[in-house]
Amino acid sequence: MRKASSISAGWRVLVQVLMVVLVVASLLPLYNVIAASFKSADEFVNNPFFPPESPIAGNYAYAIVSARLLRFAVNSLILVPLGLVLYLAVCICAGYAFGKMRFRLRLPLFLLVLFLTIFPQLLLATQVFKLISLLHLVNTGAGVILTWVAYFAPFGTYIMTTYFTDMPYELVEAARMDGASPLRILVQVMTPLAAPMIATVAIIGFQSMWNELPFSLLILQNQGSRTLTLGIAMMRGEYGIRVPILSAAVVIAMAVPLIIFLIFQRRITLGVTAGAIKG
Amino acid sequence: MRSRRLERDGIAPYLFLAPLLVLLSAFILYPVVMNLVASFTEWKGYGPMKWIGAANYRSMLVDQAFWTSIQNTAILVCYIPFSVAITVFVSALLREGLRGWQAYRAILYIPNLLGLVIIGAVFSIYLRDDGPLNLALKWAGGPTLRFLTSPWLAINSVAVIKIIWIHLGFGLIYFLAAMNGIEQGVYEAAIIDGAGFFQTLWSVTVPSIRFAIQFWVVFNFIEVFARMFSLVYTLTQGGPGYATFTLEYGIFVMGFTKFRAGYSSAWSTVLFLFCAVISVMQIRLMRRDRA
Repeated sequence: MRKASSISAGWRVLVQVLMVVLVVASLLPLYNVIAASFKSADEFVNNPFFPPESPIAGNYAYAIVSARLLRFAVNSLILVPLGLVLYLAVCICAGYAFGKMRFRLRLPLFLLVLFLTIFPQLLLATQVFKLISLLHLVNTGAGVILTWVAYFAPFGTYIMTTYFTDMPYELVEAARMDGASPLRILVQVMTPLAAPMIATVAIIGFQSMWNELPFSLLILQNQGSRTLTLGIAMMRGEYGIRVPILSAAVVIAMAVPLIIFLIFQRRITLGVTAGAIKG
Repeated sequence: MRSRRLERDGIAPYLFLAPLLVLLSAFILYPVVMNLVASFTEWKGYGPMKWIGAANYRSMLVDQAFWTSIQNTAILVCYIPFSVAITVFVSALLREGLRGWQAYRAILYIPNLLGLVIIGAVFSIYLRDDGPLNLALKWAGGPTLRFLTSPWLAINSVAVIKIIWIHLGFGLIYFLAAMNGIEQGVYEAAIIDGAGFFQTLWSVTVPSIRFAIQFWVVFNFIEVFARMFSLVYTLTQGGPGYATFTLEYGIFVMGFTKFRAGYSSAWSTVLFLFCAVISVMQIRLMRRDRA
């Protein structure tokens, strides 16, 4: 993008320097953790900053096997996609109802959903845990999935609603003239048309659930049922876990979001602005 | 509105909304209401509740941990203007068509991908008293800074990491999108008038994106009041002492490690009031935008 610029060539150099400083400040903590993951505990004590002199892979083996990271990753890879399917179904149905259907309580219910999007997990946690215990869902995938979907669905619904609202109403009218039921209109006409926004909502939902801590911390109390995020958080609290092993675990956990970013970079960038207002 | 002329859709919309409404009622509405009830009781989080009137609130008002949490929240809020200034400034620089601006935008976004737990773990290593940053400081002839173990530095470390370090990349994407909507001609006119970078930023860019800035401020308030737990839990565990407690973290400690769920519900009432105000502010912005 070549634009009219109010910055002279000399200042541009300075700005480039500033940007490089920001990039270094952004990446230095990550670099240090990656470097630490290849050091022995002794080397980290003597040399926490510079690259490892004799890189070792043992920390990764320990993190994956002894610290059960593989197990936690498998748990996440089962729970999050299942949660995501339910989350998308809930958000698409509700978003379509708010965006393209007419009913008396549309505005009050929509405002209620908006109102409930921001409450922190800890505000709800005591009662949610009571409810999950009552349903005998402590330590189960179903318990944490239900909680995730309930907690994250209002925001996803809001985004789907804005998208459906902006779609031309004639599409619905035409399908209705053909005698299609509301469910058919949603599944066969609107959902395919909304595919780009559904993909964005899916990525937002995936990131939300993948990184969720408080609810999984309270509901998944068995060590074997931990998610990857919960596993890292608990490892951090455990005494005797050495920095290089924790570092290796963190690097493994970073891999999944980074791979997803590399694949879906454009869509993630769009997702940032989807939930926000236009300038 | 169109809907006034056309007939309603009958029962179908309610069926489409049923899953969402059931989940919301059970997992959000019911907890919010029950918290209020529980805040007037002595309760362990399980077993019977005993009505004790406003005693929990009286205890809370003389609890040092509570006031430290409020003070910490205020410190976090003080970083929001800096977040606005830095993100708008850097966005404006990138908007000038700086070479490599897309790469900068992508790289600076990385912290937002990783999630607060990973970032908390990363900085718990990076900022240790004997960790990488302190070694680099020592190497440069500086003092050892106890980023996570001295009370005053610890809460400021949390603030810088969350409000500045993480949010910068998010803000860049957001503000660059907002600035993209500004007419190019306005900038060209400003340059012809001889306006410099800062003059253009202040008199053209900032007024044009003022709604985006308002939204950004509200977003930051939400993060400060409602999205700090995972970072505090993995970075400092609230410590040293209560030095990095926020309301969320206090609720966690009182409710789930000290089993004083009735008391923690009194904290929840305070957090609920703050969040309700912020939520209403956000809804007003969203509705004005869609109007």
